[in-house]
Amino acid sequence: MKELIEFMAKSIVDNPDDVEVSEEDGGDHLIFHLHVAEADMGRVIGKQGRIANAMRTLLKVAAIRKGARAVLEIG
Amino acid sequence: MESVEVSAKTVDEAIDIALEDLGLKRSEVDIEVLTPGKPGLFGLGGEQARVRVTALVETTRRPAEDGVEEPIPEELLGERVEIKDLDAEEVQYAHQFLRELLILMDISADVSVREPETPADGLGRATAVLDVEGDDLGLLIGRRGTTLSALQYLINVLVTRKLGSRVLVTVDVEAYHRRREDTLRGLARRMADRVRQSRRPMTLEPMPAAERRIIHIALADDASVITASTGFGEDRKVVIRPRGNGGPRYRRDGPGRSPGRFQGPRI
Repeated sequence: MKELIEFMAKSIVDNPDDVEVSEEDGGDHLIFHLHVAEADMGRVIGKQGRIANAMRTLLKVAAIRKGARAVLEIG
Repeated sequence: MESVEVSAKTVDEAIDIALEDLGLKRSEVDIEVLTPGKPGLFGLGGEQARVRVTALVETTRRPAEDGVEEPIPEELLGERVEIKDLDAEEVQYAHQFLRELLILMDISADVSVREPETPADGLGRATAVLDVEGDDLGLLIGRRGTTLSALQYLINVLVTRKLGSRVLVTVDVEAYHRRREDTLRGLARRMADRVRQSRRPMTLEPMPAAERRIIHIALADDASVITASTGFGEDRKVVIRPRGNGGPRYRRDGPGRSPGRFQGPRI
């Protein structure tokens, strides 16, 4: 799941070296924090959050495949 | 409270999709198994499981993602983009990104590339179609194709970012778009017949942009009706109206037939 987020984010941003994903145990679900360069925030969020929501949708697929629940937080 | 019906290969998977869609946990919903489903042999035969999941608490559902923006119907009919060579750079990147995403989502499937052939393939707009085939891909389609829309959208974002120019490829999973197209075209024709006979406008269920477009195109050549979209966001739907002097007239139904309010198609 972490690799999925990294792959998506690095493919979108201008500064792939600044992409960082950390994982946190949220009890019954996993919380992934995505950090990108300030200048890339708009790119990973997209108009009306569309890119962020598409990434969340795919993360949920990956999570369901692992029998887990996951959320993605950006910033 | 909100409720959704979902079909998938197994009851568990259908429930997972519904929960994902509603943004709720099992403890927060009421689950009713409508069809338990039967496994087929090598993906043949068998029957899909269907469940109805009703929220017991407030849902956190987000608005659906449309795969594509809806253009004006009249503009759609001719071919407006060049269909790319299947080994063109953008098609290669789209293929590569899609395969990578599938691996990272732990989904084993084959991806093949072909030219768009029908409106559901994005004919006239998309430069290529990427077909995903495999077992148990209901999860990748999602309710009413929302997950598939997100996947297609993201692939296009990734390729556009990579090449620096705007790209539109269509992603299909287990011929979902094609199957929906058949259903929608049949629906469009039946509804147009009703509108023609009753001389009354008819509003369809809310649909994503790509599906509304199929209805518009299906009826574009029908001289007796005209189509338009109404509503906003997730609630946007197609209205089919009688063409010409419009206004409602007396019903031409024979005696004894109940006028019965039309309940709207299930789509």
